[in-house]
Amino acid sequence: MPNESLSNTLAPPRKRTRPEWWSINTVLGYAFVAPLMLWLALTILYPLIVSVRISTENIRYIGTSGDFVGLDNYSYVLESPRFRDALENSVVWVIGNAVAQTFLAFAAALILKQRFFGQKFARIWIILSWVVPTVVVVIIWRWLLSASGGIVNHSLVSLGIVSEPIGFFSTGDRAFASVILINSWRWFPFNAVILLAALQRIPQELYEAASVDGANALQKFVSITLPSLRPVLFVLGLVGTLLSFNVFDVIWLLTAGGPSNATTTLPVLIYETAFKQYRLSRAAAMSVITGVILLTFAALFIRFLSPPAEQDEG
Amino acid sequence: MRNKLSVLVIVLVAIAILAPQAPATARQQVEITLWHMEQPPHRVERVQTLIDEFNAANPDIVVKQEPQNWGEVYTKAPAAVAAGNAPELLFAIPDFTPILKDLGAVQPVEDFVAELDAMHAFYPAAVAQYTYDDHTWAVPLYNMAHSMWYRKSVFEEAGVEVPSTWDDWLAATETLTTGDQYGIGLPSSKSLYTDQTVYDLMVNAGADEIYNEDGSLRFNNPDTVAAYDMYNKLYVFSPPDSPNWTWGEAEACFANRSCASILQFTVITTYDTQAEGDAADLGVAPIPYREGVEDPGTISYVNAVMILTDDEAKVDAAKRFISFILEPENYGRFLNMEPGLFLPVTEDGSVAESFWNDPLVVKYKEQVEIMLDNSTSGRLFGFTGGNTFPSIAAISAQNIVAQTLQLVAIDGMSPEDAVAEGQQLMEEAVED
Repeated sequence: MPNESLSNTLAPPRKRTRPEWWSINTVLGYAFVAPLMLWLALTILYPLIVSVRISTENIRYIGTSGDFVGLDNYSYVLESPRFRDALENSVVWVIGNAVAQTFLAFAAALILKQRFFGQKFARIWIILSWVVPTVVVVIIWRWLLSASGGIVNHSLVSLGIVSEPIGFFSTGDRAFASVILINSWRWFPFNAVILLAALQRIPQELYEAASVDGANALQKFVSITLPSLRPVLFVLGLVGTLLSFNVFDVIWLLTAGGPSNATTTLPVLIYETAFKQYRLSRAAAMSVITGVILLTFAALFIRFLSPPAEQDEG
Repeated sequence: MRNKLSVLVIVLVAIAILAPQAPATARQQVEITLWHMEQPPHRVERVQTLIDEFNAANPDIVVKQEPQNWGEVYTKAPAAVAAGNAPELLFAIPDFTPILKDLGAVQPVEDFVAELDAMHAFYPAAVAQYTYDDHTWAVPLYNMAHSMWYRKSVFEEAGVEVPSTWDDWLAATETLTTGDQYGIGLPSSKSLYTDQTVYDLMVNAGADEIYNEDGSLRFNNPDTVAAYDMYNKLYVFSPPDSPNWTWGEAEACFANRSCASILQFTVITTYDTQAEGDAADLGVAPIPYREGVEDPGTISYVNAVMILTDDEAKVDAAKRFISFILEPENYGRFLNMEPGLFLPVTEDGSVAESFWNDPLVVKYKEQVEIMLDNSTSGRLFGFTGGNTFPSIAAISAQNIVAQTLQLVAIDGMSPEDAVAEGQQLMEEAVED
């Protein structure tokens, strides 16, 4: 108490300062982000609210009205075997793409990091499959894999590897594997370029020191490369998973979810429900559930796999 | 000065009197918009040529076209109707019409169709696909019908006669299947094309009716099972990638000689531009039928135009434009926006010089005549025998006929079980 009274006595008279939230920098900051926040609210928040509203009604066709049915659509969707199958397919799809793309991207990035003749050309060339529009990619692959005149089957038969052309989309498993590989072929250059940029930031001295200590290539990769890439892998893992989950165009154009729904992932099922079955509200309920699943995944991913913040070098 | 002022006043008064009349003239010109789904540039160009001629001959009407695509119009048109900005004229296929009819957007046109019928004589099957619930909902414009396409020389080399019955068909297909050639190209994708080819067999198995008279479904019956069974037997001789085929892949398979035969609306353009183009070697025949079936046929899609306005002046303008298109001197040019694909639905159109004098039609006259003949026995699932119910739109949109085939051809289910499950899927699809 005495100290308190002393400090009160000795304290200089307080200036009448504005609260921090009312400082010029704060206000200016909000002013700068306000247009973006407004834009996001209009383009994301509003449609999201509308989706939730639609999911509680029984609207069939877009542009028409319906009656309030509460949570009926949600209970229908959650009990639907097709929804469960599509969710399962989506999980397999995401894991399959993650494995294939990670492997391809790492391989490509490690190769492109080496010095060799034509390195610069190769770094540009690899992006080609990512730059080409999806529709073109799909048409190219459909014709390449065609059983009646496709170059892949022609080559396999000519080389005696198979006795008759393979139907790459003829069974569920083959179709799923084919679609995953085609999608991975399209997306791995994007990941490879980001990994390459991260690889180039790793100080060469670390590898040299490890060599002096007698570390082999695998030990260097596990002890130096992977930890150094952790922040980049975290971002790629999060964004890549969300992007992969939502892929619709490649699947729809290649198989339309077939054969026998084997490649029907949630985005495909939502599209079919809304625009083929004309059950708009049911599709909205699926969308909301999907959104919740993805948000939960993102929250858990950030919570448990987020890399520690880098120490300030200054 | 006073004179100048007087002149100025007179001019201003004249402008004031005449000015409102200019917009009045413009108001008298009725503008109507046509949505169609014939997107390829040469088709759009041909439609525009006809529109320009019509607009020139009818200064009180302005028709403009806005090409759409089939992939989007199923959602775009209902949304446009709900928003109050639907076109006055919209092309349709039979299973698209019930969707807009349910929204109360389509005008009944039976009286207008009767007038046109008196002038041009519609083929009854064409009008039937749009006549239900006591009205006719669209004016038929052109027909598309499946046939069996083959190369005469390939059949001759294999010593195979063109089959007319299923037993002959299966034997011929097996014989035609060699090391680098498939006897037939049949799709099994969940697509409209597969719906169509399966229905080809259903028609020729005596299973063309999907509904009973009371609106209940009769898909699950022995004739349908026979059709799926036959399809599955033929499918063995089809390329292994056909689970993701649509029309283009089938045409390509035929053009590059990998497929000895296919079921298709037409292959004339592809065959003429990307294959040999030898008209004498291109064979077209009716689709074989199961022994004992009395009324064999094929799938046919009559394309039509709906009127989506109740504005009297616009309805009148729309009718005048439709009448113009169906005049024999214009109708052939309209059909030949895609020569060898679109077939006439009127008797005078089928003999119109404007139809038969197109160079490609001249070259493939024999084939077009057979196509035309096949089309007269055409039917469409859900639109047969007067047993038409709007719920067929939901069945068609989900490709349930094709889904049922996948159960047999891909999942290995028996035709009996698959057809039973197909009926169940249909019942779920049509529930409110």
